[in-house]
Amino acid sequence: MVIDDSRAMRLILRRIVTQLGFEVHEAGNGREALELLEKMDEPPTVALIDWNMPEMNGLEFVTAVRSQERYRQITLMMVTTESEHGQIVRALAAGAHEYVIKPFTPEAITEKLALLGLVPSGTMS
Amino acid sequence: MTSPTTEDLQAITEQVWLSYLDPEGVAPFLPSEETPALPHVIAAVSVTGAWEGHVVMAFSASASQMAASALLGIEEEEVSRDDIADAVGELVNVIGGNVKSLLPDGSLLSLPHVATIDEGVNKWPAAVEVCRLQGSWQNEPIAISVWTSKSTG
Repeated sequence: MVIDDSRAMRLILRRIVTQLGFEVHEAGNGREALELLEKMDEPPTVALIDWNMPEMNGLEFVTAVRSQERYRQITLMMVTTESEHGQIVRALAAGAHEYVIKPFTPEAITEKLALLGLVPSGTMS
Repeated sequence: MTSPTTEDLQAITEQVWLSYLDPEGVAPFLPSEETPALPHVIAAVSVTGAWEGHVVMAFSASASQMAASALLGIEEEEVSRDDIADAVGELVNVIGGNVKSLLPDGSLLSLPHVATIDEGVNKWPAAVEVCRLQGSWQNEPIAISVWTSKSTG
């Protein structure tokens, strides 16, 4: 699942993870993503989450997902311009597993997914 | 208080271009001393908190269209106004976020604001320009500037 208020950024991330074999669902903010999760038969393997979004931001989404046992297996990766150390710590403390700072390369996303064991090591997008 | 410099803006812009607009490195942003013509599209994010100001990108109509085309992977003639707003909004969001990383902790970044300037009006009251990077991308002018609120210097 790709959650970002920018359609362009959703498209960029979609291209990267589609090439890695993932089926992609998109949401424009945290609230839309929670609604989408409710409708899905199976929770997604991983969610790539922007921080600054209208209505419900990425940190609020992470907190909401982590409060629900049924979503505990979703891997949460922040993909954001927020690079302040304190913000990264907050996101990880709230339950995010990984953190990518924009701008990123396809290789950076692939490498993080490999570190999480979601794609084979050495995979290039 | 530390403020970003033109060199900072250039390093950030080069990285953003390589990541999103010019991954092959064949059409980089080229800095220039020349002041670009009146912009057509302005994209901005505001910084509040420990440092207060704005990060502003100004595009010619063609440059904004090319940026949307490159980011969205569609032909330039297929680019809509919404596509342009989305694309340049994300560009200024990423550049603004990286500028914010140079500022004191506790600064907050707004969501992007994008405006089409038909009358050549481009005013930022109560703000002073801190640094500016201007140049061209595929012969179309683009300028990126950082403004601080007069109240915080």
